[in-house]
Amino acid sequence: MLAFITVGSTRFDGLIQSVFSTPVLTNFSNKGYTNIVVQCGNSEFPHVHLLAQGEQSFQLEKDGLLIECWKFKPSLQEDYERADLIISHAGSGTIVDVLRMDKPLIVVPNPTLLDNHQEELASALEELGHLRSSTISQLANTIQEFNPSSLTKFPPFDGSRFRNLLDEEMGFI
Amino acid sequence: MIRIAICVLALLLAIVFIRFYCILPSSNVHGVNKKNRKLAVFLGSGGHTSEMLALVSSLDFGRYYPRVYIISEGDTLSERKAVLLEAKAARSTSKKTQNPYTFLVIPRARKVHQSLLTTPPTALLSFIKCFYHVTIASSYQDASFADVLILNGPGTCLVLCLAVYLNKFFGLSSPRMVYVESFARVRSLSLSGKLLRYFVDRFIVQWPQLLKDGKRGDCHGWLI
Repeated sequence: MLAFITVGSTRFDGLIQSVFSTPVLTNFSNKGYTNIVVQCGNSEFPHVHLLAQGEQSFQLEKDGLLIECWKFKPSLQEDYERADLIISHAGSGTIVDVLRMDKPLIVVPNPTLLDNHQEELASALEELGHLRSSTISQLANTIQEFNPSSLTKFPPFDGSRFRNLLDEEMGFI
Repeated sequence: MIRIAICVLALLLAIVFIRFYCILPSSNVHGVNKKNRKLAVFLGSGGHTSEMLALVSSLDFGRYYPRVYIISEGDTLSERKAVLLEAKAARSTSKKTQNPYTFLVIPRARKVHQSLLTTPPTALLSFIKCFYHVTIASSYQDASFADVLILNGPGTCLVLCLAVYLNKFFGLSSPRMVYVESFARVRSLSLSGKLLRYFVDRFIVQWPQLLKDGKRGDCHGWLI
């Protein structure tokens, strides 16, 4: 099984550091994961020097898992597609993209953001059962407890809402 | 002398207030007799752009044309995303409809990390560019800037909104302004949302909790 960790266009040192830590990797292993793919963005973490000399990506084996790590890609669609679990910062774009693909999602809101509305969105969607929200210190536990089948399906895009709204506003209906 | 000055000032203020009062609950729809509406959308980069393009993708392009995508200087990613959306729409329309769209680039009112001290001049430059396109260019081209302008933040959209509002104030042709608060805003409005709430024609949020204060706005659930 494969888990994909992404921070989007941001930097989230705490999340990436925790993903490379033994407690998190051990729990991945316990749950049957063999591969971890990390999109680290501009985050700082102990292994980041492996990307320093113009390298696009690096691979390493740690705690029995094969880890692949790179900074950015134009599209993450393929990586979402092949992942069995996605762990992400709580950016709304990533959340919507992943949930629309019906993939299990754990989000970790970035506590260092000043205007932390990521936290609001994460807990609102968790209350509705669409994802699990965690913290850096709780991540290993969340991975251990997480049961994707307990999640509620995210509704598909319904374009009729805005279309009707604007058509009415502009005198078409 | 001072008394007269005060009286004149008071009269002017009264006129301004009455004018504001008259345009606030604007109910007139532009171009009801036309079969199309000119659409302008502001692409605020990143997540704002993605959400806006999701909204635009839901519209009937046979009704909303021509389309103007307003982007901030240097935001090539938003431009690329809009081109992709238009290309997709052009492929999927069975009828040979024209798909005219253009881009309008405006300078950023305030760059990320720009100091507050240097913001006024850049915001002014941004405003002049908006004013030029909304008011001046549209008047000598004998075509209105747009029939409807959709906004969802951030910063630079305030300047654009101000330019449109000025047109409204002086009774010039101006688009209806529809503000859609981001899906990411669950319990608190964004700064743009708070500021524009009373100036736009429609203020729409995607989470009902945001309207608990009983103030202006409506919610139709998730739009993206």
